[in-house]
Parts: sequence; structure tokens; C-alpha cells
Amino acid sequence: MPLYETIFITRQEISSHDLEKITANFSKTLVDNGGTIVKTEQWGLRDLAYPIKKSNRAYYTLLGIDSPYTAVKELERRLGLSEDILRFMSVRVKKLSKNPSAPLAKNNSYNEEAAEANQRQED
Amino acid sequence: MKASTNDPRQKKVFFRRYTKGCPLSGSAAPEIDYKDIKLLSRFISARGRILPRRITGVCASKHRKLVQAIKTARVLALLPFSDM
Repeated sequence: MPLYETIFITRQEISSHDLEKITANFSKTLVDNGGTIVKTEQWGLRDLAYPIKKSNRAYYTLLGIDSPYTAVKELERRLGLSEDILRFMSVRVKKLSKNPSAPLAKNNSYNEEAAEANQRQED
Repeated sequence: MKASTNDPRQKKVFFRRYTKGCPLSGSAAPEIDYKDIKLLSRFISARGRILPRRITGVCASKHRKLVQAIKTARVLALLPFSDM
């Protein structure tokens, strides 16, 4: 089955308990339609680069998905109906990394690269 | 070695005009990912515009991928469409 990454942005006013419930709910939607969740990431409350629906900060959630297209379509339909979701996007990916993605990783690519550059200089 | 001090990969925002090779090619290069804002923000101007290839030194094929990643990140409000 194809792999997808779905990110949805949830408005700031909801509690963290609700956020978990929302995430679990959407995950269930996908599983019920024959998909599987490979990974779930909560990026937490982040500043938006520009306001969306008058919100300046929002919660980011990433779902790594291995699922048929129909299940993703149903998930997207429900995301669109939810009033707590400011925005969502599903991206087809070639592979899903097990590691936490860039916003969560402590050693992100820039740091690694800088470290490598230093190493090269030392050599 | 003069060349290593001219390496654009050591600078955060500032790019030398005469760069040595593509900063996104080679074995040590980072993968272009729409989620990696720290990486992508090195290739946009202070006003949020995508920098041209002649300034960043990115090769054509990587630049196309980079542009796509930046535009994806913009939709998710990870990067600005513009400053204002």
C-alpha cells in the first residue's frame, strides 16, 4: 500500500486531552477503512508563519500512514468537516522514516552538517 | 585552505557569490524535506522569497525539489508566503 504523511493543524484553544482524543479519532477512521498508522508525532504548539482563521499559534500533528488511497480520502473528508482543524495536508512519500522528523529532532540536518563541516576542517 | 572558508554550508544566511559546488549535492548533503524548516530557511530571503540559484549555488535538479519543498511548507504555515 502507498505511504503517506498527513499533517493536520489543530486550533490552539483545545486542551491537550482533546487533542489526543482528536488524533485517536482520526487514526481510528483510517484503520476502520483498511489503513495502518505507522507513526504519530505531536509537534506541540507552534507559531504559524501567518495567521490561519485568525489563529497565530496551533498544534501540529503528523501521521505516518500506510494505507489505500480511499482511506486517506475519507480521513481528509473528515478533517475538512472538523471545526477544530485549521488546515491539513497529505503528502505521498517514498519511505517513512522511523526517526522523529526535523522539527522534533535535536540533531537536525543543519547541526549535523555544521558538525561535518567542522570535522572536514580538522582533517 | 582558502576553499573551506568559502564553503557556503558554514554560513547560515549569507551566501558567497562564487560558491564551490551545490550545497545540497554530495554524500554529506542533507535530504530536502518540506518539514525541515531550518534547512529550507537557508534558501529563502529575509522577506520569505525563494533565493535564486545563482546566489545559493544549488544545482538545477535539487533546486526544483527545494522549490517544491518550500511551497509545501508554506501551505502548512511552516514558512511565510511573504514578510507582511
